[in-house]
Amino acid sequence: MKLITKSSLTFISATVIFFLIGSVIMYFSVRNIFSSNLNDILLERKVVLEKQIEPDNVERFYAKEVFVTKLESECVLSFSDTVLIEQEKYVLYRKLDFPYKVKGKNYKVSILESQTKTDVLITKIVIMNVGLAVVFFLILFFVNRHSVRNTLKVFYKTISKLEEFDLNNNNELNLDSAQLFEIKKLNSVIQKMADTLKRDFEVQKEYTENVSHELQTPLAVISSKVDQMMQSDNLSQQQMEHLALLMETTNRLSKMNQALIFLTKIDNRFYTEGSAFDLDQLLKQQLELFEESIKQKQIKLELQIEDPTHIYMNRYLAESMINNLIRNAIVHNNDTKSISIFIKNNTFRITNSGEELSFPADKIFHRFKRSETNKKSLGIGLSVVKSICELYQFNLSYFTKNKLHTFIIKFK
Amino acid sequence: MDNKKHILIVEDEVELALSTIHFLQDNHFTCTHTSTIQSALKEIKNNHFHAALLDLGLPDGDGLVLIKELKNKNQETGVIIVSAKDTLNKKIDALELGADDYLTKPFFFAELNARIKSLIRRLNVEESKKIVINELSIYPEEMKVVVHDKVADLTSKEFSLLLYFASNQNRVLSKTILGEFMSSGYDDYGFSDDLVYTHIKNLKKKLSKLGCTEYIKNVYGIGYKFITN
Repeated sequence: MKLITKSSLTFISATVIFFLIGSVIMYFSVRNIFSSNLNDILLERKVVLEKQIEPDNVERFYAKEVFVTKLESECVLSFSDTVLIEQEKYVLYRKLDFPYKVKGKNYKVSILESQTKTDVLITKIVIMNVGLAVVFFLILFFVNRHSVRNTLKVFYKTISKLEEFDLNNNNELNLDSAQLFEIKKLNSVIQKMADTLKRDFEVQKEYTENVSHELQTPLAVISSKVDQMMQSDNLSQQQMEHLALLMETTNRLSKMNQALIFLTKIDNRFYTEGSAFDLDQLLKQQLELFEESIKQKQIKLELQIEDPTHIYMNRYLAESMINNLIRNAIVHNNDTKSISIFIKNNTFRITNSGEELSFPADKIFHRFKRSETNKKSLGIGLSVVKSICELYQFNLSYFTKNKLHTFIIKFK
Repeated sequence: MDNKKHILIVEDEVELALSTIHFLQDNHFTCTHTSTIQSALKEIKNNHFHAALLDLGLPDGDGLVLIKELKNKNQETGVIIVSAKDTLNKKIDALELGADDYLTKPFFFAELNARIKSLIRRLNVEESKKIVINELSIYPEEMKVVVHDKVADLTSKEFSLLLYFASNQNRVLSKTILGEFMSSGYDDYGFSDDLVYTHIKNLKKKLSKLGCTEYIKNVYGIGYKFITN
């Protein structure tokens, strides 16, 4: 719900309730005022009437809108409303009953006073009041709406600027200075926050690159020294083997470092430039790179592309994503030696035969999680795939059944 | 006249520079080492270099500025960037400025050696375009191998393996080095060992069929060595 709708709704409901209650209260208080006015008139008429009535001829007394009734006992003075039918119309009257005692006989005298005039007056007053209220309400409603909208304009501007703001791009967040204190404050807080974020992000990016530099150079020194030693003629077989292992381990360390830096870069949204391309083209290119490995391992590859799928993402990340999935399928294959790849319905699916997992299936995308049988694998390829899918909000899933392992990427 | 090729090494990590010098001297290069841009500029002014290895993160600036200097002095100087920064942008920047190759740290000397030799062959007009080892001749540009006047029928992978070996004669090349070379820098492990073994086996078979001496020897448990002496 928009802020302006919300504020209008509150305003409308508050005023409607207020006017409803107010109108009812007003109706009754106006009526009350008119009733007491009528009561006074009736009391004045009573005084006049008491002088007019002849004590001997009470029962035959006649005056307009006056009735005399003989009673057994004494009655009390009271006011009430009553309705008479005159020419088939209901007419509302105010009635005063008072006791009249003469010669030991009790009478009740009723004086009637028509309320028609006052009734019309009340109706007119109520209508006028409601009309005024409606006009008042409408004016207030539009003035309120306009002013809120005007105030919010700066606020919406801030929101749209925030939407455009991207840490990765080199744009700075420049919020307009507002006149309203609260929005001014909001803008300055956001501005401060964005500046800090931007600075931290730059530092982090620099840090990633520095880590790479700082770690790779010592590794290069180790690797070069091992290589140098390996060329000596007077080494025993065992020493040679140790050196070869050292070289391999150093190389592994360096690969791992590179892979972690790559993962950090993905998570930091370092790769932002995207382009549109066909998934099947990309897949074929990547498969070419593995052609020899697949042939050498005698793996049966089944490829089924039903729909040409266009995706929009960073090309380098797309290559890495597909490459890692294919590599995973080759490295972890077993004696059944099969890989099948389907592209269909905006979905990429790769299935390979392979031994049962030695860990729970939901840990498959965790970093450094790898099978016991394949110690050489770095255990980082699938986390790269996961990071890339998370970056683009692709749905990545995995399931295994009967020694078949399937990875599915559902593109948006 | 001294026929040795002269290489400029600009590297601020002294130990790495020392190993590199040691290695290159073993391979009959002469080396000049500097660790700053300022001193490198002086060297470029006064000497002729066949190739230069440039580190990018130097104490007094980015090594990229040296590319232009080197190329202005002599177009035939091969420039190889050796950097820990493995980012695409850096590579593109370097290549656009005129660098001929880009090597990411850590690298294997065998790889460096192969690349320097290939660069010198490519850039120097007078340089011989073929490598001759007794009865074996390799023509890198035509991707052709001749043994006893007969052309060997090699796949491109086998050819590049042979060229790699020929560039690194009499050196032990471990399986790690060969695996890295074959997989051309792909980041994960797991299947290059077998692949290397298969390719080398096929290469050796094809060469010996044509009567070639068995230069590629297996170093048990370690890797291979191309032995000519």
